[in-house]
This record gives sequence, C-alpha cells and structure tokens, in this order.
Amino acid sequence: MDELIGYFLYFLSLLSVGGIYALLALGLNVNWGFAGLFNAGIAGFAAVGAYTFAILTTAESTFHYGGLGLPIIIGEISAFLIAGIIAAVIGIISIRLRADYLAIATIGIAEIIKLIFKNQVDITNGPRGINKIPRTWEHFSESRYFSQPILSWIGDNQFWQAFFDSLVNWWWQPLFAATILFFVFVVYMMLERARVSPWGRMMTAIRENEDAARAAGKDVTRRRVEAFIIGTMIMGLAGALLAQHLRFIEPTHTFDPSKMTFLVWVMLIAGGSGNNRGAILGAFLIWFVWSASELFLNGFIDIVANIFNGIDVSMLKNRSGYLRMLLIGLVLQFVLQKYPKGILPERRPAAPGE
Amino acid sequence: MKKIILTGIASAALAVSASAEVKVGNPMAVTGPIPDLVAPMLLAVDLAEKHVNEQGGLFADGQKYTIVRADSGCDPTAAVDAVTKLVNVEQVSAIIGPVCSGATIAQAQSVTMPAGVVTLSVSASSPAISSLESGTDLVFRTAASDAFQGKALAELAIANGIMDLAISYANDDYNAAIAAVFASNYEILGGTITANEAHEPDKSSYRSEVATLGADTNNLALFAYYGSSGITILRNSLETGAFDLFFGADGMAAQEVIDQIGAENLGNAFFTTSTSDQTTNAFGAWKAAADAANVPAADPFVPNSYDAAFMMALAIEKLGSGDRAGIASALRAIANGPGEVILPGEFAKAKAILAAGGSIHYVGASGPQDFFNNGDVAGFFSKNTVVDGAWKAEIIK
Amino acid sequence: MWENFGFEFVNYYFIPGLVLGCIYALGAIGITLTFGILRFANFAHGEIMMTGAFLTWTFLEISNIFLGFYMHPLIACTPAIFIAIFLALSVDRYFYKPFRDSPTIIIVMASFGMMLIIRSLVQVIWGPNQITFVKGIAKPNSYLKDFSSSMDMMLLVPSKHLFIILGTIIIMLAFNYMLTSTRIGKAMRAVSDSPDLAKVTGIDVEQVIRATWIVGGFCAVMAGVFMAMDTQFIMSTMGFRMLLPMFAAAILGGIGRPFGAVLGGLVIGFAEELSAYPWFGNGPLLSPGYKSGVAFSILVLMLVFRPSGILKGRVF
Repeated sequence: MDELIGYFLYFLSLLSVGGIYALLALGLNVNWGFAGLFNAGIAGFAAVGAYTFAILTTAESTFHYGGLGLPIIIGEISAFLIAGIIAAVIGIISIRLRADYLAIATIGIAEIIKLIFKNQVDITNGPRGINKIPRTWEHFSESRYFSQPILSWIGDNQFWQAFFDSLVNWWWQPLFAATILFFVFVVYMMLERARVSPWGRMMTAIRENEDAARAAGKDVTRRRVEAFIIGTMIMGLAGALLAQHLRFIEPTHTFDPSKMTFLVWVMLIAGGSGNNRGAILGAFLIWFVWSASELFLNGFIDIVANIFNGIDVSMLKNRSGYLRMLLIGLVLQFVLQKYPKGILPERRPAAPGE
Repeated sequence: MKKIILTGIASAALAVSASAEVKVGNPMAVTGPIPDLVAPMLLAVDLAEKHVNEQGGLFADGQKYTIVRADSGCDPTAAVDAVTKLVNVEQVSAIIGPVCSGATIAQAQSVTMPAGVVTLSVSASSPAISSLESGTDLVFRTAASDAFQGKALAELAIANGIMDLAISYANDDYNAAIAAVFASNYEILGGTITANEAHEPDKSSYRSEVATLGADTNNLALFAYYGSSGITILRNSLETGAFDLFFGADGMAAQEVIDQIGAENLGNAFFTTSTSDQTTNAFGAWKAAADAANVPAADPFVPNSYDAAFMMALAIEKLGSGDRAGIASALRAIANGPGEVILPGEFAKAKAILAAGGSIHYVGASGPQDFFNNGDVAGFFSKNTVVDGAWKAEIIK
Repeated sequence: MWENFGFEFVNYYFIPGLVLGCIYALGAIGITLTFGILRFANFAHGEIMMTGAFLTWTFLEISNIFLGFYMHPLIACTPAIFIAIFLALSVDRYFYKPFRDSPTIIIVMASFGMMLIIRSLVQVIWGPNQITFVKGIAKPNSYLKDFSSSMDMMLLVPSKHLFIILGTIIIMLAFNYMLTSTRIGKAMRAVSDSPDLAKVTGIDVEQVIRATWIVGGFCAVMAGVFMAMDTQFIMSTMGFRMLLPMFAAAILGGIGRPFGAVLGGLVIGFAEELSAYPWFGNGPLLSPGYKSGVAFSILVLMLVFRPSGILKGRVF
C-alpha cells in the first residue's frame, strides 16, 4: 500500500514539475511559436518571477530583504507583472534584433539578471538563497497563516494545529498539483483564444512575412513587443510556482540555463512550436523522460551488472547522470530528424468564413 | 527492445526484493559543479555500506543495508526531483546526503520534512540549516556549521600572527557563507581586512583580481572549492607573486591541490578541515579502514560522509527496523551516548552490544558526532599544512 | 611613471588580458565562420575546443607511457587536431547537413543537442573531474625578464604565455594568407559575403563548408590547448564556459569577419581582466563577482547599438 501511495505521490510530483515546465513552454510558444522571437533567456525571466514571489511572500527574515509576508496570490500576480515590466524594458531595446541575435542577447541578459541576484546580497541573500518559501495549500498549516483571517474566524490556533496534525502528511500534494494544472489550463485557454483572434492571426502574418504585414499597415514592432511581454509574464508566473515547489531558490543552480532555458526549448520543439497543446505535451513528455530516466538507467545498470556477473559497475553508476544528458541529446536529435515540426505540428486557425 | 527492457526491469525488481533489506537514500552531487570533491565522498559512503554488510548486516536476520544513490547535482531542482523518487518510489527509510547546502535545504523543505523522513547531511555547512526546522527534529548533519569553522579559522589566523589580509571567496552557497562568518569574527578579534571580494567561480584567469586584492597585503584568505576556482587562484597568486601566505577552509585541503600546484610551492599555506584529532583511536580506525579500501581518508568531507552512512546503519540497528518515524531518536541515542564507545568500522561490536540490550556511543572519523537540539554537531577542526607532499592535520580545538 | 603604474599594469593586467584575448580570439574565429557561412550559432563549438584539449592530454599521457617523457602540448595536439576535425566533419555530415534548408532554429537546436552529446560522452569516457594538464606553477621566463630589466622594463611573462601569444600570431598570419591568397580562402569569403552569388559563380558550397569546419575545428583545438596550457588543467565544462564570451567576441567583431573576431576576442579579454584594475581608488573597478557580466554587457550593448560589430559584419 505504501508503495502504491509512493508511486502516486511521485506521479503528482511529475505532474507538478511537468506543469511548471508546461507553463514555461507555453510562454516560449507565445514568443517563438506565435511571433518568431528567439528568446533564450527563459532562466532569467523565471528567476525574476521566483525572486519576486519569494521576497513578497516569505515571513520576515534577517537573511534577505523583507520577507513581506503577503498572501500567496499577491506574490503570484506580482511575479507575473514584474516579469512583464522587466520584459517590456528589454523588449523595447532589443526587439528589432533578429533570430540568433535576439537569442544571444537574451542569453546575455539572463546571465546578467542572475549575476545581479547573486551579488545584491542585501536583497536576495546572494548565492545562499531564500528559503522557507510558502507553498500553496501546505502554507495553511503554518501558524502565521492560520492565525490570521479568514482561517482564524473559523477556529483558534489549537483547533487548526490539531486539524492539520490529523491530516495525512501529504494532504496538500494533490491540491498543489491540481493548482499548477489549473494555471496551465487557464493559460492554455487564454492562449487558444488569443491564437484564433485577429491578434493571433496578425502574429502569424508578422512571423511569416514581416514586410507584407508592415505594408498592410500593421504596427509590427508593437505586436512583437506585446508577444515578448506576454510570453515572459507566463514565464514569471512559472518561476513563482517553481519557487513554491522547491521552497528554496538560489541564483546559480536553480536557474541553470541548460536545465531551465534549453530544456524548455527542447520541450517546445519536440512538442510542436506554434501549437499550444504541443507545448504542453512536449513539456510533460520530456520532463517524464528526464526524471524517470534516472530510475530506468539505474535499473538498466543493475541488469547489466547481473548479466555480466562480476564487472564493476560503480564507475558506470557514478556517471549515470551524464548518460542521462546523453540520452536527452539523442532524443532531441531523433525528434529533430523524424519530426522536424514537432509531434503535434502547428495548425493554422481557419480564416473567417471558412 | 521494449519487451527486453521491461522484463529486465521486472527481473531486477524481483532480484532486489528477493532478499530483505533496509534502503537508505543517498542523493549526492554526482554531476554538477564539484564532481572532484564528491567522488571520494561517494567511496566513503560505499565503504560504510560494505562494512555494515560484511559484519553481518542489519538486525538478527542479517538484512542487507542498501544505499540507493541518486544525483542531486548541487542543484535544488535536481535534488528535489531525486529525493522525491527516493522517498516515494524507492521508499527509503532515511536520506544521507545532499552535498551542497542549497540542495539540502530545498530537498528538506520540499520533500523530506513534509514526508517525515530524516535527512542526515554529509557536508552541508550553511548556518541557515541550523534554523531550518521548527520542532520537527528531522534534519541532522555530520559537518559542523560554518558558524563554528569560520570562527575557529579567524582565531587560528590571529594566533598565527596574521593581522591583515585580503579575502577572496567563490560566490556560491558554501564559500560565501563561511567567508561572511570568518570576516566578522576576524574583525572582532582585531584583524584588518584590506579587501573582501567575491569572485565568479570557473573563470580561466584570476590574475587581475589577485593583483588588485594583493596591493596592500601578502596574506590571502581563500574560500573556494579547489576544483572550480581555488587551484587557479593559488596558481595565479603564486605566479604573479601577489600573495605569499594562503589559508582557508574545507574546500581546499585536497591531495589534488598538492598534485597540481606542487608541494614546494605550498610551504606557506594552511587550511582547516573538520576532522577528529588524528592522534585519536577514532581517526586511527578510520584511517586504517580507508587506506585498506583506497579511500583518501583526510580529503574534505570524506570522513563526514563515512560517519553519516555508518551512523545511519547504527541508528537503524538500534531501532530494530527501517521505520521512518523512529530514526531521529535512534540517531540521537547512538550519537550522543552514554554507552560503550564505538569507533568507525566496528559494526559487529555495536551490533553485539545492542543485541545484548546495551547502549552505544559512536565516536566518528570526523570527531565525536554529538547532535545538538537543532541537529548540528560541534566542530572539531584541524589545521592542515603540507608535510612531505601530503596534507598533515593537527587539531586546533 | 613606469615604475609606479606600468610594471604592475603591464604584467598583472595587460598581459593576462592579452593571453585571455588570444584564447577567445581563436575560439571566436570558428564561431564567426560558421555564423557567416552556414548561418547559425554553433553551440557545440566550445565542446570541440574541450574535446581537443582532452585528446591532447591523452596523447601526452600516451607519450609518457611509450616514450618515457611528456611531449610539449603543442606537439601532442597534432593528432588531436586531426581527430577533432574528423569529429566536426562527421557531426556536420550526420546532424547538420540534413537541415541545410530548414529554418535556422532547427539547426541551432541540433547544435545544442550536439553540445549535450559531446560533453556527456567526454564526461562518461574521461570522467567529470579536473585533470592536471601540466603540474606546478609557471615562473616568468628568465631570459625575457633579464633582457627587459636591462632596458628598465621588467617583463614577467611565463613561457606558456609566450607560446600562446606567439602561437596565436602565427595562426593569424597563416589564416590571413589562406583567406587572401588561396582559392578556397577566397571562396570562403565569397560565400560568407553572399551565398547566392557565390553559388551562381560556380563555387562548390559544400566544399567551402568542409573547409569551414576544418579551419574552425583547427582554431578551436588550438584555443582549447592554449587554454589548457594557461590554466594547467582540463575539465569537461571548460568549453561551455568559454562559449558565451566567444559569441560576444564574434558579434563584437562583426559576424563573418574573422579578423573582427580576433579583435573582438582581444577586446573581451582585456575588458574582463581590466575590469578588476583599481582605476579609481584602491578597490577593483568592478567587483570580481560581476566579472562574467563584463562580456555579457558588451555583448548586449553591441547587439543593441551596433549589431554589425566593429568591422561592419553581416546582419541577418
């Protein structure tokens, strides 16, 4: 029974992280799939969202600025907005760069953002990071939440303490996963509406033939900045959810570009850029492969050890982390060669009247 | 192909479940920024596992003590993912590991504390871990908090007559933390800090930084992992002559430093490590066992790693089962005494005493591991200097 | 003046900057060539560099086993260069060539995948740990020290740095000759300037692409070996760490302009080292914690204000 619950909880954790990656991939899809903007600074924008959320919602702390102790929802909205403001500034100065140039510029900007978080120790606690970040639902069992309205109207502290102690220790986990999936669903619905709206069709027109769109009197630059900001805001929200999932963030490894930026690109390209469902599918698929491959590889190495009795597999075991990276690289090459348009290719919205 | 893999996995699962065992998760930063530092720590954990199983295994029926390794990559995301798998899929009884403080904090808050699983960290030394939990008693560590080592190092510097120095620390969770503690203690003790700068790890040259920092002093307090920036800074300083005296903490006292820089160039360097007095029986026992197994006994956090894996086995033996809930108190019982003293490697002896209803007190390779209320241990530190091409440790406190 | 300012400045800031700049410059040549001729940002370039250094180390060890002494790295790198070029050509053949007519993003992604594959292969084969390349510390070249101090200048340059600086100059001269005086070199310039025009005039574009990988691979291995000589150890992540500064150098110099890349490399190298010089007061101008930010800031500013680079390169 414990084992079944264990698998269920691991599955919930896969869904949570997969959902966070799905949000990142959806944001990237607005940038790249809709508008053709090669944003390679995902890690930086997610970091903005995560730090905004962490500083606003943690309890007062001596390690970093604030700990303003604001409600979680305000932290999430702020992460969304602040990421948008940062993106607006960056977008306005760098949006005219094309493809690879924008990619390299955004990588550079993301690294600078991370360096700022790393060196402004007074505000962010630098490389030592921010901990005790509240997690949606689970946070209600902290006394600083249940001693305040609305919960304090229902019962006093002893009541809530006893209530939370009586629950099974993973009670919040299904709720947290559901919350993330809810965010994914809402963002997905909004983007689907946007995609088939006149705005979305204009984005496609700009991406496919910018000159023609410009000649038709469209404000191309403005639309591109809009797409950049919207995509980045979604990444900021994903960053806030990631901070909740980890409950601890620090600038160097949490927002490592190979795991935050490039992995998201692999997800989007594998799933199908331009297709929101493709982005979500790619995110869950690649994350499942990434996470579960550790279990499979270890099992596989055990089998090798059993078959070839006596060979020393400890070297292989200790390097299995690198075999995983190798696997992801091979999956990417395979998808690129077999499905250059992704597993779910883009479907154009039907023109009005069709 | 798919079928083969599936049957393979099934058979592996069967093979594993055939014999009774107690599993303990061991997330370690196998990949990530400090693989050099971690490699010997992995050997030490494996050695403890081997000692336990060779000396009769756990409990009366000799169950296997299994260390399930995972990769925490020094990265909160990877650590949380790895520990989720260990706790839920592998159903481990407890966690020994993660290496880095950040990964330890993240996995504890995100996974193990909500699930009620004990974490016994092998090397996380951030002061933030001391205040991590509120009454849950689930996070322990065998490495002393930087709050102790930074202070010890400051006292050592003053005792050696170093009254002015420059500090250069790698901008990561471990080195930034210990540098901050060191700096404040050193100034309280009356030392003068001429410059205190962070540096980005993993750059190929630090010549200009050391030249600037070395303008007013010849003494450098260097806080870095040897593998990511420490060796480069030492080499650049020696080549440019910017500094002639170096000292720092755990991250640097590795044989690799001597191999790369050369013993003849390190006459004026000392680094502290947390270890037990090398003249004691505990260290002697550990050294003999480690030498026999080709594990570098005095490398940073290697004795701590052994202690963690060995103590976890003792705690499970004491508890009599792999039940998650009882491990914290069992761990305190075998670590804090009172009882018969158990040295590293003496699992059979401990088992016999426990079976007879006695109590034991483990004295570890890295010092007596008596846990405080918050799961920290007091540090015993040694000053390491190069003697005959190897680090020689002498206890300072 | 020289005693107060120059001695320190030249030996501790200028020459290290020059050495770093040389390494960046060699790496950036390959990037700017692939960018100019194949029209994509090759993320796997740093890994070719790193593989070259690992192969060179392997040949050093082999020479120690069979000959009983360590060859000079610049000799041991010869077979490494051939292997690394073969690697670059086969990667192109199997992983980039299928996407010649695809959108840029696909081939960039393919190069990103190659980066992961090559690096993890090296980590599985050689392990992730640091490996000592040359032991000990490098003392300043005594001949140069004596000679320059007799002229009241006192240059403290280790021999390894002399090798790096002279080696880069020789490679640059040879490269210059190739681009201006050989048929293939001229063809490369033509394709870089205008691929369609070059095709019309009968240039074999595939041959030019092969030449690009050979030249780029050669320069990358040399950059990797020079870097290993400088830092005296090798590590599987050394290529990736150098990648973004090298991109910065390529863009700074102007895409498709090999000499621009050299210039850009030198500028980035100097900027990184000189950012820690105490220009005002005693402390470093910029906290060394921000050192990596120097290259990124130059990169972003350059892209925003002058995307064509110093030497007016191509803008896509």
